Amino acid sequence: MVEIEIDENACVGCGSCVDDCPNDVYEMDEAKNKTKVVNADDCMACLSCHEICPAEAMEHKNIHVAKRLYIDRRVNDILNKII
Amino acid sequence: MAYEIKREGKEIFGDFKPELIPNECGGDIDDYEEALHVLMKFVGSMSSALEQVSGRGANAIVYQAGKRMGHEAGKMVEKTDNLEKAMQELSEILGAEFYFDMWKPAGQEGYTIEKGDETVVKLIFRDCVVRQTLRRTGLPQKGPLCYLLYGYTVGAVEEVMDIRGKLDIDHVGPNACLKTLTIKWSGK
Ligand code: SF4
Ligand code: SF4
Repeated sequence: MVEIEIDENACVGCGSCVDDCPNDVYEMDEAKNKTKVVNADDCMACLSCHEICPAEAMEHKNIHVAKRLYIDRRVNDILNKII
Repeated sequence: MAYEIKREGKEIFGDFKPELIPNECGGDIDDYEEALHVLMKFVGSMSSALEQVSGRGANAIVYQAGKRMGHEAGKMVEKTDNLEKAMQELSEILGAEFYFDMWKPAGQEGYTIEKGDETVVKLIFRDCVVRQTLRRTGLPQKGPLCYLLYGYTVGAVEEVMDIRGKLDIDHVGPNACLKTLTIKWSGK
């Protein structure tokens, strides 16, 4: 079961996730001007919302994380050492 | 007589007979990683060049190529008209690099919808080498390379189930893509 957490301190209320999610998982909370999760059951973990959110405000828990063989581990190892 | 270019790294020199291939030719995991990156870049630039030259026709060309491969691959497994079994076999054909499941919205009763002589099922592709290649090369999804996978999937399903198939893209994302597979039972 997917769990979605929104960091309300980070969310800037742009509504991009509401527009972008193909499965209507989010709705705007007009009073707070923040997004809210209304339909987590229909989340298919495509993570398009992560890609569009300018504030990196959401976290998806308990999902399948796709392989990312294109990530250059050697470069990342070097970066980890210096950052 | 070859002029040997100086380079870092160890090359393999030795005797070669077809039945005595030196073990070292297998390479180690780092060699595979490097080869994969090169291959991804090659395939990615080939796809974008194809699109540049042939425009939307590129999708059709690549789709046909994928479909042919799918039909060939589908011949290696048992024929069935049971959708669940066909999906199981499709997953064996596509392998771990194209890990997919059937998907439905929470409110929908079953995974399939019957529409006249058609059955519709949604497939969620969680792992996909094509997606990885596109992201590695900075190319958008839904381009010609995606059509290679659509063709491959449709070809394999057509072969396994002896039907006409169609795959439509519902949504592409960085972690999973949703597609609709339509099976036309009235056959070929
Ligand atoms: S992961 Fe995809 S389906 Fe889930 S909330 Fe984000 S955009 Fe919607
Ligand atoms: S995209 Fe991000 S910042 Fe914008 S409303 Fe959604 S969670 Fe908030």
